[in-house]
Amino acid sequence: MAMGRLGGWAVRVGVLVAVFLTAQPPNRLTAQDSQFGIRGLGTPGKWESVRARTTGGAFAPFDAFSPLTDAVLADVRRMSASVTSGASWRSVDAGGLQSTLRGTRFPAMVITGPVTRRIVVAGGFTTYLDRSFGVVIQDTIDLRGVQQPITDQIISDGAVSDLRVAVAARLHNRLALGLGLHRLTGSTRVVATRSFADSSYRTTTARDEVAYGGVGGSASLLFDVTSDVRVAGWFRSDSKLRADVGGITVAENDLPRMYGAGVQWRAGAQASVAGTVSWRNWGAVQSVANAHDTFNWSFGAEIGSPGSPLRLGARGGQLPFGVGKAPTEVGYSAGLGRQFSGGRGRLDIGLERLQRRGLGLSERVWTVLVGLTVRP
Amino acid sequence: MRRLVWLVLLVVVGACTENATSPGVCPNFCPGDTIAIRDTILTTIIDRDSSFRGYVPSYGAEAMTAADVPGVVDSRAFFTTDTVLRRVSPTVGDTTTVPINVDSSRVRFIIGRRPKNTTNLQLRLYRLPVTADSTSDFASLDPDFTATPVATLNVTDLLALPAITDTQVVRRWDSIWGTQSIDSIRMDAAGHVLQMHINPSDTTLAVYFKLDTLQAPFSVADSGRSAWGVRVAADSFASVILGASNQGGTMPLIRWFYHYTIPDTVSATPDSVVIANRVPSARFHNFVFNPPTPPLDSNLAVGGVPSARALLRVALPAFLHDSIDVVRATLVLVPVNAVPGAPSDSFQVLARVIAADLGAKSPLSQNSGLSATTTIHIGSADTVRIELTAMVRAWSLDTTLVTAFIMGQSPEATSYTEMRFYSSRAPAFRPTLHVTYVKRFRFGEL
Repeated sequence: MAMGRLGGWAVRVGVLVAVFLTAQPPNRLTAQDSQFGIRGLGTPGKWESVRARTTGGAFAPFDAFSPLTDAVLADVRRMSASVTSGASWRSVDAGGLQSTLRGTRFPAMVITGPVTRRIVVAGGFTTYLDRSFGVVIQDTIDLRGVQQPITDQIISDGAVSDLRVAVAARLHNRLALGLGLHRLTGSTRVVATRSFADSSYRTTTARDEVAYGGVGGSASLLFDVTSDVRVAGWFRSDSKLRADVGGITVAENDLPRMYGAGVQWRAGAQASVAGTVSWRNWGAVQSVANAHDTFNWSFGAEIGSPGSPLRLGARGGQLPFGVGKAPTEVGYSAGLGRQFSGGRGRLDIGLERLQRRGLGLSERVWTVLVGLTVRP
Repeated sequence: MRRLVWLVLLVVVGACTENATSPGVCPNFCPGDTIAIRDTILTTIIDRDSSFRGYVPSYGAEAMTAADVPGVVDSRAFFTTDTVLRRVSPTVGDTTTVPINVDSSRVRFIIGRRPKNTTNLQLRLYRLPVTADSTSDFASLDPDFTATPVATLNVTDLLALPAITDTQVVRRWDSIWGTQSIDSIRMDAAGHVLQMHINPSDTTLAVYFKLDTLQAPFSVADSGRSAWGVRVAADSFASVILGASNQGGTMPLIRWFYHYTIPDTVSATPDSVVIANRVPSARFHNFVFNPPTPPLDSNLAVGGVPSARALLRVALPAFLHDSIDVVRATLVLVPVNAVPGAPSDSFQVLARVIAADLGAKSPLSQNSGLSATTTIHIGSADTVRIELTAMVRAWSLDTTLVTAFIMGQSPEATSYTEMRFYSSRAPAFRPTLHVTYVKRFRFGEL
């Protein structure tokens, strides 16, 4: 596989990114999950490829390799596959108590290909809810009439994944319809440990695995208003999310419906911009006391030749779980893409900065993104 | 671009280490459930408890107690030795024998434990009849123990003497007596010797009485057999534990020093004199004390001579088998009274799981990891607590285990000391189990 030579600007930006990331100690950067998800169902994943993510998510409804919508799959002309990975560094400030975290995720994969000239099918997975977290709680309790210092550590490692089978059909030259079936699955390995300062007490550890299950459906439309302007709309609804421990259902939680719309404008051959808005009624999750409906927006641009574009984006909105008002999230991202092997492959890299704020907690996240798309 | 790709991939791979744990800010940013801990005293789950005596006799113990605590106990230790041939073959293969002439002897005791803050600690050595055996009791041996002692060795005075640390001397005593490594010896004017043993856990002493033929005549009539008793005296709390273990090399012994003459068969050379010594093997050891251990009653007895053990059966409630994790379990025992004696005679009580419940003959489990100990202090009537956490955790996890255990003194039958606890037949003071446990964490629930 031959790789084309890139221009100096790309190398310079990439080197700057790499130097920045390697020069900064990891404890200044943090991971993708959020402390805001601990007290809820989890942290909602971002159903975006690296291309869409580096445009703030604005290109997601117009990118076939972002699992957000199904209709855009109708643009796929040949068998293709794409995978996204991200390494995040997160710093958490909880009332002056600071900590640094890091993690690596493979948040999305899509395999798609046309069945007929008008029908395209796709499959893949993405993260629906991330449930990876660990908290250490130090306290003093009264045991046998004596104040005993204790340390609790509760760790959850895993996620609720969204397995998708989607079909898209071009109903008209300007209109595409997409439908998707989603199976929510996955598990978290959970460990709760309590240790005592007094060695007379044994450390107690409970381990288990929580399995999650659910189903969902999605529908989306993609309409080319003109040759340069596209609009997209999507809808998704899921069943209750079931949590099983040892084969016994311990919880069933409602999941939100999702609505969204986006518009994309190709401003010439080497520039396009897009924007999206979406709503999710997380407030319907009855079992979570502090669940909020969320509204999210994004705006992004892709500049340069289709073979090696530069991408920029911004996003904002809310997180579903948090005390009091819904926590907010603001993010900025940038990235590069590069086609190789005569367009049969594409490598996308990106950098994202997120800032989350809620009552009593704030988070700052740096994420390095790498995506690979191949068209054999 | 190729270098950039590799750099980015390296960064991503380098970040593959996870660190998702941070200090919890509760309750807003912590899991909904918490680790719930419960503490309960189970007052009635120990029942059908009994004591049995006769497991280890004093002459089967690995140590002996010599004590003299007025008004409490008078304990005296003794041992007997095997025969010593009084004729030897002067040369190998020669059928003729010559008599030996004993000229001196040494009697050795290993002191395993002693009161370190008492003064004028003395061991008094008595010659006993060689017929002393397991039927001999305090009364029958009293005339011999109240006679004039053969020799007296003052441990306190010996310890106050300057130590001889010369390697040649120290190693010679090592090689002759085959004892553990020692770091010094001390010798008084009478020739009695004290060896300081190097022991990782404590400092034990070996004391050697030097006896001449007037003090320790070789008894031809008894074929060289001998019996020796020892009493202890001090300004206060006179009590020592003397080793009596063959395996541990702590058995008391006597070494006879003698010489014999090899008659010359060639007139040109004089007769030659050979100097030698011999340690006869031990026949028996024991200690007798007054007053004797009282008979068993409705309480739980642990210790004494012959040793008594208490069997306690535990009716473990169902909830301790289900969805909980025991983090601490403490057996609470109320003593009937304080154990009288010298403070240095404090002892350990060992609780061991039984493999099968066969009453007094219940076999002990080989799993020593489930055992628990506590120290019983002389003169203390405080409530006794034994941590049975490992034992109760095992019962909680494995329902096939027998939920009963036996308490005994450790080591058994080495002392006059015996502890008595109230049994389940005394409702107000019955044994109880104090259990602290953690309830199952409700994973998956918000």
